[in-house]
Amino acid sequence: MMNHLPGLVFYGFSAALIVASIGVVTMKNVFYSAVSLVAALTVVAGIFILFGADFLAAAQVLVYVGGIMIIMLFVVMLSQQPRDQLQRQTNDQWVAGLLFSLTIAISLVRAFRVFVTQEPSLAEMMPTSAKLGSLLLGDMLLPFEVVSLILLAALVGAVLFAQDKLS
Amino acid sequence: MTLYHALALSAIIFSIGIYGVLTRRNILGILMSIELMFNASNIALVAFNHYRHPGTLWGQGFVIFVITIAAAEAVVGLSLVLAIYRNLKSVYTENMNLLHG
Repeated sequence: MMNHLPGLVFYGFSAALIVASIGVVTMKNVFYSAVSLVAALTVVAGIFILFGADFLAAAQVLVYVGGIMIIMLFVVMLSQQPRDQLQRQTNDQWVAGLLFSLTIAISLVRAFRVFVTQEPSLAEMMPTSAKLGSLLLGDMLLPFEVVSLILLAALVGAVLFAQDKLS
Repeated sequence: MTLYHALALSAIIFSIGIYGVLTRRNILGILMSIELMFNASNIALVAFNHYRHPGTLWGQGFVIFVITIAAAEAVVGLSLVLAIYRNLKSVYTENMNLLHG
Protein backbone atom coordinates (compact mmCIF):
# COMPACT_ATOMS: atom_id res chain seq x y z
CA MET A 1 0.00 0.00 0.00
CA MET A 2 2.78 2.44 0.86
CA ASN A 3 4.30 1.93 -2.58
CA HIS A 4 1.21 3.28 -4.24
CA LEU A 5 0.97 6.35 -2.04
CA PRO A 6 2.94 8.80 -4.28
CA GLY A 7 0.89 7.64 -7.27
CA LEU A 8 -2.39 8.21 -5.46
CA VAL A 9 -1.27 11.65 -4.32
CA PHE A 10 -0.19 12.44 -7.88
CA TYR A 11 -3.57 11.47 -9.34
CA GLY A 12 -5.36 13.47 -6.67
CA PHE A 13 -3.21 16.52 -7.42
CA SER A 14 -3.79 16.02 -11.16
CA ALA A 15 -7.56 15.94 -10.76
CA ALA A 16 -7.48 19.05 -8.54
CA LEU A 17 -5.21 20.85 -11.01
CA ILE A 18 -7.42 20.05 -14.01
CA VAL A 19 -10.58 21.13 -12.17
CA ALA A 20 -8.95 24.38 -11.00
CA SER A 21 -7.62 25.11 -14.51
CA ILE A 22 -11.02 24.57 -16.09
CA GLY A 23 -12.36 26.95 -13.45
CA VAL A 24 -9.77 29.55 -14.49
CA VAL A 25 -10.88 29.54 -18.13
CA THR A 26 -14.64 29.16 -17.63
CA MET A 27 -15.61 31.24 -14.58
CA LYS A 28 -17.84 34.19 -15.40
CA ASN A 29 -16.43 36.44 -12.69
CA VAL A 30 -12.74 37.25 -13.29
CA PHE A 31 -12.12 37.51 -9.55
CA TYR A 32 -13.29 33.92 -9.09
CA SER A 33 -11.04 32.70 -11.87
CA ALA A 34 -8.10 34.51 -10.23
CA VAL A 35 -8.86 32.68 -6.96
CA SER A 36 -9.10 29.44 -8.94
CA LEU A 37 -5.70 30.21 -10.45
CA VAL A 38 -4.28 30.58 -6.93
CA ALA A 39 -5.53 27.05 -6.17
CA ALA A 40 -4.05 25.71 -9.43
CA LEU A 41 -0.62 27.26 -8.78
CA THR A 42 -0.55 25.88 -5.23
CA VAL A 43 -1.34 22.38 -6.55
CA VAL A 44 1.49 22.77 -9.08
CA ALA A 45 3.81 23.43 -6.11
CA GLY A 46 2.64 20.12 -4.62
CA ILE A 47 3.40 18.32 -7.90
CA PHE A 48 6.90 19.86 -7.86
CA ILE A 49 7.45 18.32 -4.41
CA LEU A 50 6.34 14.91 -5.72
CA PHE A 51 9.05 15.15 -8.40
CA GLY A 52 11.72 16.03 -5.86
CA ALA A 53 11.96 19.75 -6.60
CA ASP A 54 11.63 21.21 -3.12
CA PHE A 55 13.25 24.58 -3.85
CA LEU A 56 11.03 25.08 -6.90
CA ALA A 57 7.92 24.37 -4.83
CA ALA A 58 8.95 27.07 -2.37
CA ALA A 59 9.76 29.46 -5.20
CA GLN A 60 6.43 28.70 -6.84
CA VAL A 61 4.50 29.60 -3.70
CA LEU A 62 6.62 32.68 -3.01
CA VAL A 63 6.78 34.13 -6.53
CA TYR A 64 3.51 33.00 -8.11
CA VAL A 65 1.03 32.76 -5.26
CA GLY A 66 2.60 35.47 -3.14
CA GLY A 67 3.72 37.88 -5.82
CA ILE A 68 2.15 37.58 -9.25
CA MET A 69 -1.31 36.61 -8.02
CA ILE A 70 -1.45 39.51 -5.53
CA ILE A 71 -0.67 41.97 -8.34
CA MET A 72 -3.21 40.26 -10.55
CA LEU A 73 -5.93 40.45 -7.87
CA PHE A 74 -5.16 44.14 -7.39
CA VAL A 75 -5.55 44.79 -11.12
CA VAL A 76 -8.77 42.73 -11.23
CA MET A 77 -10.24 44.76 -8.38
CA LEU A 78 -9.07 48.07 -9.91
CA SER A 79 -10.56 47.34 -13.31
CA GLN A 80 -13.90 45.68 -12.52
CA GLN A 81 -17.18 47.36 -13.29
CA PRO A 82 -20.64 46.27 -12.13
CA ARG A 83 -21.84 45.65 -15.68
CA ASP A 84 -19.18 42.95 -16.14
CA GLN A 85 -21.40 40.50 -14.27
CA LEU A 86 -24.07 40.75 -16.95
CA GLN A 87 -21.84 40.29 -19.98
CA ARG A 88 -20.76 37.12 -21.69
CA GLN A 89 -17.10 36.33 -20.95
CA THR A 90 -16.30 34.27 -24.05
CA ASN A 91 -16.15 35.46 -27.63
CA ASP A 92 -18.05 34.09 -30.62
CA GLN A 93 -15.35 31.59 -31.59
CA TRP A 94 -15.51 29.46 -28.46
CA VAL A 95 -16.56 26.30 -30.37
CA ALA A 96 -13.61 26.64 -32.72
CA GLY A 97 -11.33 27.33 -29.76
CA LEU A 98 -12.62 24.24 -27.95
CA LEU A 99 -12.03 22.05 -31.01
CA PHE A 100 -8.55 23.55 -31.51
CA SER A 101 -7.46 22.96 -27.92
CA LEU A 102 -8.96 19.45 -27.90
CA THR A 103 -6.99 18.65 -31.06
CA ILE A 104 -3.78 19.90 -29.47
CA ALA A 105 -4.47 17.99 -26.24
CA ILE A 106 -5.19 14.68 -27.99
CA SER A 107 -2.23 14.92 -30.36
CA LEU A 108 0.17 15.89 -27.56
CA VAL A 109 -0.99 13.02 -25.35
CA ARG A 110 -0.67 10.61 -28.29
CA ALA A 111 2.79 11.97 -29.13
CA PHE A 112 3.97 11.47 -25.54
CA ARG A 113 3.11 7.76 -25.80
CA VAL A 114 6.79 7.29 -26.71
CA PHE A 115 7.52 7.65 -23.01
CA VAL A 116 4.93 5.13 -21.85
CA THR A 117 7.53 2.41 -21.28
CA GLN A 118 9.68 4.65 -19.09
CA GLU A 119 10.77 2.92 -15.90
CA PRO A 120 10.01 4.66 -12.60
CA SER A 121 12.81 6.85 -11.47
CA LEU A 122 15.33 5.50 -8.98
CA ALA A 123 16.47 8.96 -7.96
CA GLU A 124 16.61 9.57 -4.25
CA MET A 125 14.82 12.57 -2.86
CA MET A 126 17.33 15.00 -1.43
CA PRO A 127 17.42 18.76 -0.84
CA THR A 128 18.19 20.56 -4.08
CA SER A 129 18.76 24.13 -2.90
CA ALA A 130 22.56 23.99 -2.52
CA LYS A 131 23.14 22.17 -5.81
CA LEU A 132 20.73 24.47 -7.61
CA GLY A 133 22.51 27.53 -6.23
CA SER A 134 25.92 26.36 -7.36
CA LEU A 135 24.46 25.44 -10.76
CA LEU A 136 22.96 28.92 -11.17
CA LEU A 137 26.20 30.67 -10.25
CA GLY A 138 28.38 28.14 -12.10
CA ASP A 139 27.31 26.64 -15.40
CA MET A 140 24.23 28.85 -15.77
CA LEU A 141 25.99 32.12 -14.94
CA LEU A 142 25.42 33.80 -18.32
CA PRO A 143 21.64 33.25 -18.47
CA PHE A 144 21.48 34.22 -14.79
CA GLU A 145 23.03 37.61 -15.56
CA VAL A 146 20.92 38.09 -18.70
CA VAL A 147 17.74 37.40 -16.78
CA SER A 148 18.69 40.08 -14.26
CA LEU A 149 18.87 42.56 -17.17
CA ILE A 150 15.42 41.41 -18.30
CA LEU A 151 14.04 41.96 -14.80
CA LEU A 152 15.54 45.47 -14.72
CA ALA A 153 13.99 46.26 -18.11
CA ALA A 154 10.61 44.92 -16.95
CA LEU A 155 10.82 47.08 -13.80
CA VAL A 156 11.57 50.23 -15.79
CA GLY A 157 8.86 49.36 -18.31
CA ALA A 158 6.26 48.79 -15.61
CA VAL A 159 7.06 52.14 -13.97
CA LEU A 160 6.92 53.87 -17.36
CA PHE A 161 3.60 52.35 -18.41
CA ALA A 162 1.97 52.91 -15.03
CA GLN A 163 2.62 56.67 -15.13
CA ASP A 164 -0.39 58.91 -15.44
CA LYS A 165 0.78 60.81 -18.49
CA LEU A 166 3.14 59.21 -20.98
CA SER A 167 5.51 62.09 -21.72
CA MET B 1 2.98 7.75 -11.53
CA THR B 2 5.17 7.55 -14.60
CA LEU B 3 6.71 10.09 -16.95
CA TYR B 4 3.86 9.54 -19.40
CA HIS B 5 1.26 10.55 -16.84
CA ALA B 6 3.13 13.72 -15.92
CA LEU B 7 3.51 14.67 -19.58
CA ALA B 8 -0.16 13.94 -20.28
CA LEU B 9 -1.13 16.19 -17.34
CA SER B 10 1.15 18.90 -18.72
CA ALA B 11 -0.42 18.58 -22.20
CA ILE B 12 -3.95 18.80 -20.79
CA ILE B 13 -3.16 21.91 -18.72
CA PHE B 14 -1.45 23.49 -21.73
CA SER B 15 -4.55 22.88 -23.89
CA ILE B 16 -6.82 24.37 -21.23
CA GLY B 17 -4.56 27.43 -21.29
CA ILE B 18 -4.82 27.62 -25.09
CA TYR B 19 -8.61 27.44 -24.84
CA GLY B 20 -8.59 30.32 -22.37
CA VAL B 21 -6.31 32.46 -24.53
CA LEU B 22 -8.46 31.85 -27.61
CA THR B 23 -11.90 32.38 -26.09
CA ARG B 24 -11.63 34.84 -23.18
CA ARG B 25 -12.90 38.36 -23.84
CA ASN B 26 -11.34 39.83 -20.71
CA ILE B 27 -7.64 40.57 -21.16
CA LEU B 28 -6.95 39.66 -17.52
CA GLY B 29 -8.40 36.20 -18.20
CA ILE B 30 -6.03 35.88 -21.16
CA LEU B 31 -3.07 36.76 -18.92
CA MET B 32 -4.17 34.13 -16.38
CA SER B 33 -4.43 31.50 -19.12
CA ILE B 34 -0.88 32.35 -20.20
CA GLU B 35 0.25 31.71 -16.61
CA LEU B 36 -1.45 28.28 -16.82
CA MET B 37 0.55 27.48 -19.97
CA PHE B 38 3.81 28.50 -18.25
CA ASN B 39 2.98 26.12 -15.41
CA ALA B 40 2.23 23.27 -17.81
CA SER B 41 5.69 23.65 -19.35
CA ASN B 42 7.23 23.80 -15.87
CA ILE B 43 5.58 20.49 -14.93
CA ALA B 44 6.99 18.91 -18.10
CA LEU B 45 10.49 20.23 -17.40
CA VAL B 46 10.52 19.02 -13.80
CA ALA B 47 9.15 15.60 -14.81
CA PHE B 48 11.79 15.15 -17.52
CA ASN B 49 14.48 16.13 -15.04
CA HIS B 50 13.16 13.66 -12.45
CA TYR B 51 12.78 10.66 -14.78
CA ARG B 52 15.39 11.09 -17.52
CA HIS B 53 18.29 12.90 -15.82
CA PRO B 54 18.02 12.10 -12.10
CA GLY B 55 21.56 13.15 -11.18
CA THR B 56 21.50 16.65 -12.61
CA LEU B 57 19.40 19.75 -12.04
CA TRP B 58 19.38 21.46 -15.45
CA GLY B 59 15.64 21.10 -15.89
CA GLN B 60 14.96 22.69 -12.52
CA GLY B 61 17.36 25.50 -13.37
CA PHE B 62 15.34 26.15 -16.52
CA VAL B 63 12.15 26.27 -14.45
CA ILE B 64 13.68 29.05 -12.34
CA PHE B 65 14.25 31.10 -15.49
CA VAL B 66 10.71 30.39 -16.69
CA ILE B 67 9.29 31.60 -13.36
CA THR B 68 11.46 34.74 -13.56
CA ILE B 69 10.38 35.56 -17.11
CA ALA B 70 6.76 34.89 -16.15
CA ALA B 71 7.03 37.37 -13.30
CA ALA B 72 8.51 40.02 -15.60
CA GLU B 73 5.84 39.34 -18.22
CA ALA B 74 3.02 39.57 -15.67
CA VAL B 75 4.28 42.87 -14.26
CA VAL B 76 4.66 44.53 -17.67
CA GLY B 77 1.37 43.07 -18.94
CA LEU B 78 -0.60 44.19 -15.90
CA SER B 79 0.79 47.72 -16.01
CA LEU B 80 -0.16 47.84 -19.71
CA VAL B 81 -3.66 46.66 -18.78
CA LEU B 82 -3.93 49.45 -16.21
CA ALA B 83 -2.74 52.05 -18.75
CA ILE B 84 -5.27 50.82 -21.32
CA TYR B 85 -8.05 50.74 -18.71
CA ARG B 86 -7.31 54.34 -17.75
CA ASN B 87 -7.81 55.43 -21.36
CA LEU B 88 -10.62 53.16 -22.56
CA LYS B 89 -12.45 52.33 -19.30
CA SER B 90 -12.69 48.75 -20.58
CA VAL B 91 -10.75 45.48 -20.27
CA TYR B 92 -12.38 43.71 -23.22
CA THR B 93 -10.18 42.87 -26.15
CA GLU B 94 -12.64 43.84 -28.89
CA ASN B 95 -12.46 47.47 -27.71
CA MET B 96 -8.68 47.55 -28.01
CA ASN B 97 -8.43 48.26 -31.72
CA LEU B 98 -6.30 51.41 -31.69
CA LEU B 99 -2.55 51.63 -31.34
CA HIS B 100 -2.66 55.12 -29.79
CA GLY B 101 -5.07 56.55 -27.25
